[in-house]
Formats: sequence, structure tokens, C-alpha cells
Amino acid sequence: MATTKLGFVVQRPGYKSENPKLALTHAIASQSVEIYLKDGDIVTADIAFIGDGVLNCLKDQKAVENYDLNSTESHIKMSLLLDLNVLICREDLDRFGLTESDIVIDAPEFGADMEVKVVPYAEITKMMEDQDHLLFF
Amino acid sequence: MKLVTFVSDYKMTVDTLDRLKPEKLGIILVQNGVYHATTKENGKPSSMLNYSANYYVLQEDLETRGLSAANVIDSKVKVIKYGDIVDLMFNEYDKSAWL
Repeated sequence: MATTKLGFVVQRPGYKSENPKLALTHAIASQSVEIYLKDGDIVTADIAFIGDGVLNCLKDQKAVENYDLNSTESHIKMSLLLDLNVLICREDLDRFGLTESDIVIDAPEFGADMEVKVVPYAEITKMMEDQDHLLFF
Repeated sequence: MKLVTFVSDYKMTVDTLDRLKPEKLGIILVQNGVYHATTKENGKPSSMLNYSANYYVLQEDLETRGLSAANVIDSKVKVIKYGDIVDLMFNEYDKSAWL
């Protein structure tokens, strides 16, 4: 029985490119690979927003209304539904003067039990050290 | 020359705007450029707002990112819609550039 750990690090703001949202779709897709794995093997995915990437986490994004596009916010909520570990860098939120009330924290409307964790960068570093594969977006 | 410039990125690596010397400059903040209008880093507004220019920010791009007119930090930045951009380009400026 083996566990493969994937870490997705988002460091750029969204929408100008698909890049940040791809991190989330890849993380979500990583949870559907069971049919290719041996019994007992699992893949985990952690997602971290750092630097300007924390701007992806602002709530009340109206991407469907304006772009006819699923929002990055909804992708974060979908990640929580799948019990993925979503971390946001506290220092970078502070740098932008943002607080937890400005960002996506939970997704009860999606039936998700998990919540986003706002953590110091040191904790994100620890998460990254713990991964088998790190992907930067 | 009356030039209107679209700024579509938050972090820019070129100083093109510094080199432009039109008689009238408009800066329209679109896409990720809207963060210049709403975001302070370490308490400081974006240096993008330091030009002698008429500033505009696109409402639709604000809303998409979870922002609104209420988040605009400087009153010199006017919130506009797509239709207003067309009016600006046709009525106020001779040329446009996209950065």
C-alpha cells in the first residue's frame, strides 16, 4: 500500500490566464485515478495559495455572470468537498490587508466538511517538504 | 496624441508606461490590472496610480474577482462598464494600446 502525495502551489492571480484554475482542476482530477492504482494505493493532493495567488481566494466572484465561466471560488469549494487540504498564506493575506472575512473559507452549500486553512508560510513550507511531487502554477 | 492604455496585469515587468508621453493619457484597468485599483501592499497603493492620467477600471472584471466599486481605493479611478470603454475609445482618445 503506497501513498503518492501531490502538492499544488498557486502563486499568480486568476482569470488573466487559466493557470491558477488548472492547479485546482488537476488537484481535483487527481482524486479520480483510483482505477489506475493497485488496491490500497492512494493519491493525496494539497493546495497552497501564496504570493499574489492568494487573490484567487476572494469570495463572491461573479465569473459566471460576467465571463460565463465557473469561478475559481467554486473550484476551491469543490476541492473542499473532496476533502483536499487547502492552505492560504497568512503573511501574503496580511500584505494585501485581507482577512479571513474576505476569502473563501468553507463550502456548506456544496456539502463540504473541510475548511480552508489560513496558515503561516512556515506551515506551507512544511507541507511542500512532505510532498512526493510539487507543481507550481 | 490622445492615448488610452489598457493595463491587464497586476505585476508588470516593463516600464512602457513611463516612456509614453501623450498629451492626454487614459489608463483603463482591466483583467488582473483591476488589482491596481483595489489592492494595497503593505498599506501602500499601487504605483500604477501615480501617473498623470485619467483612470478607469472595468466593473465586470472587478466583479469576476470578488471585488466591487466599494473596493476601489482611490476616488480618481472611475468604475466603468464595457459600453463605456467603447465610448472612451471613440470619443476621447485617438489611439489605444494594450499592456
